[in-house]
Amino acid sequence: MSERVRIRFKRQGPMRYLGHLDMMRYFQKAVLKAGLDVKYTEGYHPHQIMAFAYPLAVGMETYGDYADIEFNTVNDPEEIVKKLNGVMREGTYATGAVLLPEKALNAMAAVEAADYEVIYDIPGCSCEEVKEASKRAVETLLSSESVTAGKSGKNIREGILFADVSFTEGENRLILKLLSGSKLNARPADVFNAFAEAFGERKAVSRLIRRLEIYGKNEQGELVPLGSEGVL
Amino acid sequence: MRFEDRKTALPDEVLMRVDKPSRYTGGEPGSVMKDDKDIRCRFVMCFPDVYEIGMSHLGIQILYGLLNSYEDVWCERLYSPWTDLDKIMREEKLPLFSLESGRPVKEADFLGITLQYEMCYTNILQVLDLSGIPFYSKDRTDDDPIVIGGGPCVYNPEPIAAFFDMFYIGEGEVVYRRLIDLYEKCRDEGVSRQDFLHEAAKVPGIYVPSMYDVSYDENGRFKSMTPLFDDVPARIRKQLVKDLDSSFYPLYPVVPFIRATQDRAVIEVQRGCIRGCRFCQAGQIYKPIRERSVDTLEYQAREILKNTGYEELSLSSLSTSDHTGLKRLLEYLIGYCDEKKINISLPSLRIDAFSLDVMDKVQDVKKNSLTFAPEAGSQRMRNVINKGLTVQDILGGSEMAFKGGWNKVKLYFMLGLPFEEDEDCRAIAELCNEIAKVYFDTVPKEERHGSVQITASSSFFVPKPFTAFQWARMNRPEEFEEKAKLTKRAVREQLNQKRISYHYHDSGTTIIEGIFARGDRKVAPAIVYAYEHGALFDAWTETFSYENWIKAFNETGVDYEDYIFRLRDDNEPFPWDFIDCGVNRQYLLNEWHRAAEAAVTPNCRDKCAGCGAASYGCGICVEKR
Ligand code: SF4
Ligand code: SF4
Repeated sequence: MSERVRIRFKRQGPMRYLGHLDMMRYFQKAVLKAGLDVKYTEGYHPHQIMAFAYPLAVGMETYGDYADIEFNTVNDPEEIVKKLNGVMREGTYATGAVLLPEKALNAMAAVEAADYEVIYDIPGCSCEEVKEASKRAVETLLSSESVTAGKSGKNIREGILFADVSFTEGENRLILKLLSGSKLNARPADVFNAFAEAFGERKAVSRLIRRLEIYGKNEQGELVPLGSEGVL
Repeated sequence: MRFEDRKTALPDEVLMRVDKPSRYTGGEPGSVMKDDKDIRCRFVMCFPDVYEIGMSHLGIQILYGLLNSYEDVWCERLYSPWTDLDKIMREEKLPLFSLESGRPVKEADFLGITLQYEMCYTNILQVLDLSGIPFYSKDRTDDDPIVIGGGPCVYNPEPIAAFFDMFYIGEGEVVYRRLIDLYEKCRDEGVSRQDFLHEAAKVPGIYVPSMYDVSYDENGRFKSMTPLFDDVPARIRKQLVKDLDSSFYPLYPVVPFIRATQDRAVIEVQRGCIRGCRFCQAGQIYKPIRERSVDTLEYQAREILKNTGYEELSLSSLSTSDHTGLKRLLEYLIGYCDEKKINISLPSLRIDAFSLDVMDKVQDVKKNSLTFAPEAGSQRMRNVINKGLTVQDILGGSEMAFKGGWNKVKLYFMLGLPFEEDEDCRAIAELCNEIAKVYFDTVPKEERHGSVQITASSSFFVPKPFTAFQWARMNRPEEFEEKAKLTKRAVREQLNQKRISYHYHDSGTTIIEGIFARGDRKVAPAIVYAYEHGALFDAWTETFSYENWIKAFNETGVDYEDYIFRLRDDNEPFPWDFIDCGVNRQYLLNEWHRAAEAAVTPNCRDKCAGCGAASYGCGICVEKR
């Protein structure tokens, strides 16, 4: 018997340069340090049963990523959060946990979409100019029929569910909601590149990409955060 | 400061362009942050190789933990930027920085560099260069940190002496507090750099090269070294930890984010070795052997595993099988680790019923191999090198292992040893063949899963200071190649040759290593020349260029052949004679003569050979036998 817990976490600061495998290794160690009753696979080299919803790219921060971990017994998922945060101080923290129903999809299969913000500047450009140019660029992005992904060359326009710009605290942000999944996967870096292209001469330069939330679907087919009740 | 608020020294745009950016960001679990206003001394500890190698080194973890346990000191880490970042730093004139504070190395009080192998010497220059610190100690000013070297290569520091303000000879745990106190006092009193170096030269174990004058004979060979001042000692005595149980050991080591070469919890079982293999420097310079008690080791293993979350534990020491409490320790660890689902990574053990039982418990027999390091193929040669491993040990051990289901055997040899004949090379092939024969004789056909696989590899022998072979002539590259080919041919002639694969290492690195091992102060300009002509990461085959090095010696007028291809006279003075590592020259000379007769000297546990290390009054020398 075992119980699966979906842990929501954020990652900030220099830890964002870790690759996905290193993130997993970091979590495995944190689980052991926290003394959690984690479940292991059988065999000569048993390992923890752990699955991440959506690998984080090197350089990306997150406010809302998820990892499913199996435990032998769980009293209170919130206690797992507390214990993990008791041993993590490097820039990755658990922000919530829910016990998954047995029928829940595995974390990766459940992912349908994600929110992002891309913080950017346009070197050598004044505030007002940036705002104007950014608004025009996002309009151009949304009205174009084709947005090409860098690596695959695929058209990912359909994958852009939402895009807008915001200017607060002296930072310029491109806010995105993007489809993710095996059929169509829109990556924020690709969408940002298309946005940056739309500036024409002056290039926008991305400073930081941050994932804000990951969504799955509920029975009604609506997008809901991966850690909410009723997610498939 | 919260870790996520730390600024990385390198801008995002640079980090996103280099391989494995986490090599350069710091902030790992176990790393220590301090506030400038709380400290009086910033100590940058450097391992001059890439992060994954440097982070695997136990010695740095010990010193890092120890120095950071001092309130007034902040010890930070530094590793060599890999070639991709190296290029960017030069192009964009970015100063080299330490991992914790991200601040320039040049602003530190000390830059400590650990010297684990000779082939890192150009990486020392890279670190100095990128930091903006002059290569030569004599060109440095108050704006530069004190550059101090430590580690096994300091047992002949002369080829790199000009690049260092000082070295510590021995185990760092003992020296640093006193040195830092002196430094802080001198700084408070406004003492000049020169005068501080002079004072430091009086601290036991500290060697300040600029306080000594070296003379050469009419052939340009090293003759003598004399202190420039009356109050500077003529000989430097190695400092060591007398009791491992009460010495500092890091229970919260830094745990790298990215996978390091040795990425696991480590307990240090003992220091030193009872066996006096005549080629082996580690066996002499860490004498006498000092064990850590099983109780301490069990405690440390539990604590470290708990504090790091590592899923693997390894035991560090030379010749672990010689620890008197090993059986009890391993029994405990196997039980503990099994319960906690932790893997034990076994050190190479002497193959016998006990070790096979242990291996069977913690490894997948089908996947793992037996390891033997006979170092030489014939019994006569093993007597010459004083390797107490007999053909019965090897064949008997193999037989037992084959019965237990093993079928892979790895063997390590050396070629180019003193007094070696062609038949000794052929004996390597014959020994491999014998092992295969044991397999076929022991394991009935129907029980064979796959067949026996024997992998033999040979490295080329480099004579090292403070060994019985420090007088020996090193083979020329042609001789090495010939011997390797001879061995290879002999392998091909064996009945079971299909079951044996044989590899040998490159001879180019060996030659350069040999020059650094026994060279003197005249070598330094060649290292600078080679570095300025592109030598870097010489320990890596992809970056090493033999031709570049030979050119460097020729261009700087260094008669490198004289250091290596010459049999030394019994009375020839050596550049490293000023170091007193406990083991005296007379003992080594006797061993050299005994080697010529292929006479075996018993190990410390069987009978004291009177090497001189008993003067430390600790470890095996004072234990009851
Ligand atoms: S057993 Fe021999 S080779 Fe190994 S450390 Fe001891 S002296 Fe050196
Ligand atoms: S003095 Fe004797 S027991 Fe001590 S290290 Fe030397 S040989 Fe071994």
